[in-house]
Amino acid sequence: MSASTAPFSVRYRRSVGDPDLKPRLLDFQRSWRESRDAQVRRLEQRTERSFDALRRDFAAVKDATLERMDDYIAEFRANAEAAGATVVELSTAAEAVSYIASICKSRGIDLVVKSKSMVSEEIELNHELEQQGITAIETDLGEWLLQLAEERPSHLVMPAIHQKRQYVAEILGAELGREFDPDDIPEMVASARDGLRRHYLSAGAGLTGANALVAETGSIMVVTNEGNMRLATSLPDVHFVTAGIEKLIPTWADAERQLQLLPRSATAQTLSTYTTCITGAQPGKEMHIILLDNGRRAMREQDVISDALRCIRCGACANVCPPYQVVGGHTFGHIYTGAIGLVNTTFHHGIEDAAGPQGLCVSCGACETVCPVAIPLPKQILEVRHQAHESGHAPLWERLALKLWARPRLFHYLMGIGALAAGLASLAGLVRNDHLRLPLPRKLRWRSVPTLPLRSGQTLVKSRATQDAIADSPASGQTVDLFAQCLADRLLPSAVDSAAKLIEAGGGLVNLPDGQHCCGLPAFDAGDWGTARQMARQTIETLEQSGNEIVTPAPSCVIAMQDHWPRLFRDEPDWLDRAEAVSNRVHDLASWLDSPGRLPDGCLSDGANGSWTAHRFCQASNRGDPGARIDLLVERLTGEPALPLEEPEVCCGFGGLTSLAAPEVGEGILERKLNCVAESGCDTLITNNPGCAIHLRAGANAGGASHETLHYADFLAARLPRNE
Amino acid sequence: MSTLIERTSRFAEGLDAAQGELFQCNAWDELWQYADSLSGETPAVSPAVHAHLQRGDLPDVNDPLRSIADRQVGITEAKLAIAETGSVLLIEPAPIDRAVSLLTRHLIVGVAREDIVDELSDGFRWLAQQPRAAAYATFVTGPSRTADIERSLTIGVQGPSRLTVAVLG
Ligand code: SF4
Repeated sequence: MSASTAPFSVRYRRSVGDPDLKPRLLDFQRSWRESRDAQVRRLEQRTERSFDALRRDFAAVKDATLERMDDYIAEFRANAEAAGATVVELSTAAEAVSYIASICKSRGIDLVVKSKSMVSEEIELNHELEQQGITAIETDLGEWLLQLAEERPSHLVMPAIHQKRQYVAEILGAELGREFDPDDIPEMVASARDGLRRHYLSAGAGLTGANALVAETGSIMVVTNEGNMRLATSLPDVHFVTAGIEKLIPTWADAERQLQLLPRSATAQTLSTYTTCITGAQPGKEMHIILLDNGRRAMREQDVISDALRCIRCGACANVCPPYQVVGGHTFGHIYTGAIGLVNTTFHHGIEDAAGPQGLCVSCGACETVCPVAIPLPKQILEVRHQAHESGHAPLWERLALKLWARPRLFHYLMGIGALAAGLASLAGLVRNDHLRLPLPRKLRWRSVPTLPLRSGQTLVKSRATQDAIADSPASGQTVDLFAQCLADRLLPSAVDSAAKLIEAGGGLVNLPDGQHCCGLPAFDAGDWGTARQMARQTIETLEQSGNEIVTPAPSCVIAMQDHWPRLFRDEPDWLDRAEAVSNRVHDLASWLDSPGRLPDGCLSDGANGSWTAHRFCQASNRGDPGARIDLLVERLTGEPALPLEEPEVCCGFGGLTSLAAPEVGEGILERKLNCVAESGCDTLITNNPGCAIHLRAGANAGGASHETLHYADFLAARLPRNE
Repeated sequence: MSTLIERTSRFAEGLDAAQGELFQCNAWDELWQYADSLSGETPAVSPAVHAHLQRGDLPDVNDPLRSIADRQVGITEAKLAIAETGSVLLIEPAPIDRAVSLLTRHLIVGVAREDIVDELSDGFRWLAQQPRAAAYATFVTGPSRTADIERSLTIGVQGPSRLTVAVLG
């Protein structure tokens, strides 16, 4: 069994055990990001439209086409057949394979040269044809290397990105019977030209995919760089095209729209070397266009999922994905990799193959920001994760932990015991800088275990003197409900207390609704929507009492209430209304401090010395929440500029349960973040989500980093004047 | 609508970004002289270029594969050039049309200066109006390339490793 076809757990262990993978993919992601951003900027300047407007335009084209799919299939078929092609619509992978095999057999073809086609990977064509005595040879260099190594692609457009050049030299050497110098990449590339040329001449058929199927003329459009596709469609007598039915677009004008987005998002090229348009069979030759369903119609039936059919397979969603950088595509995906692979695998290959990697996604939302067809990937991944959970694919420990978490009284009771135990540990000298000094297993040593403070956030708020107002704001005299967040309440209680002080500093009055616990986010994230609903209902009941505006130091809870609650209660109209009434009143503290509880510019300008920088909670940043710019807030209030931080909005690796379920992923992402923080040279790292603050602090503690980690509320509140 | 001079200079930039080279000349004969001087071998020419050149001393192009495979220099013709991207549009309905652009090492593409259009959308508009041309049409943007081994950009894979666009007139 090769590295890429083993069961998920084996693939996972292998990828985290590969010391070269992470740095190589990190390099790749960073350089792709830079060139892609430059390309997108130029496109925006030239068209005088934003990337978002351009991608929404093309997404609308795809949506309208998918809506009337059968009409466009009919139009495409009529035009392609008029031009001499044969068009077949097939439902399953097996049907597609047997169609191709039977044409080959009836024409006496035993060799097929292939240009890159993800659909042919999807149906595992090479393997299946081989069973029937037909050899298929990949002619795209990357795909050929995979074929020689018996591997699957680890990326949609850079299929062999996981292979090291030493390894490439080895497999090419074995295939071609000569030695290769791993450092002479041009020589290895040249050998592909020589090694493959004879196959083109002797193959009876060439096979390609299609980046688009143009209905108005029945044409296919294929985007490539190497020239192999043109050879494969020029020399053999039969041309097979394997394409998903979602590749249809109405017109050539739409093809041009797709090309504005595809190469820029895929390889950060303005245009790939060859954009080839073929209409019909060439004189004396045959063309067979296989339009494959294989789960696509089922995707179209699911509201949340159907947008995934817009996908143009650019791979951008993998290029910004933090867990992908740590584990690569053999682990983060099945045959389709990256965020889209976490979504469409269920439909093309089944829940068994889709379930494994679901827990690796940290829900940071980066994929959606670069997707050139604006697919709501994070939302869809959570949907599939839910389906995986429902079909029994969730670890027992996770299910049990969530059940405990869902019971506020029991949760607080256990936390209380934990806090006492932590107190005892402290007496025994097992605590340093608020973290336990425990002998952890190696794979968990990267993050220290924070102690449980004896007093919770809510206790701190209740037992302190109120903060005097330092300024008038539109919220002066207004009572607001403070939602502590379960995690902050227990593990970062100071942030809850600081939030209360900052609200009061702006003239607000703080009410702490009794019995508050958890919005349901951890369970929702884990796909356990039943438990999530239970938690959400309890929170709604708690927060609907007063009718006050609600403020929380935890932006993740704001997102959960605004984005996830409507999904949890989509089948319960009463609860949906109640949920909405609460979520409409909820504010992230950072945005509250801008409006309406506005603190004046420079009002916190004297305080602690030392430089600072800000890690901005990825999910809120990628969602475009203005409150996520805590750097701007803190600069405005303190008058002190932040130090520059690389990748300030890239996930820190907390990712809810991911860092527990896949600790190496949490560790890898955290390492990327802490390296950026170290490079900034800051004394203090501030951040906005309590989970991130706890995680970043525990990671810095374990790694012996010199900076201090604070929730921005603590950073700001420390500068408030003491009450008279 | 931009001027010809503007379009030519934009095209030159686009082509340069795609690692292609520009050659400006007055007529096909001049292009031929240039191509012929590049290597010891006679350049391979596509049927259309053959017709343009009207030279008695050119080999026939009847057996494209054997006579053209891996020849050092090939000459073909483009219908349009796209200023925005530095691409040329090749219309090659028969395999014999493609032999030169597929199999030679250094491809020279002749295009008339007045056939340089502003944007890719102009190219597609043209294509939509010429259904026969779309039988096998390729926008070629620079020489063939790959980055499949450790993302290291290597120019020249199955297609030409050098691309020159000769703007005529
Ligand atoms: S989901 Fe979007 S970003 Fe990912 S491959 Fe498809 S089009 Fe590209």
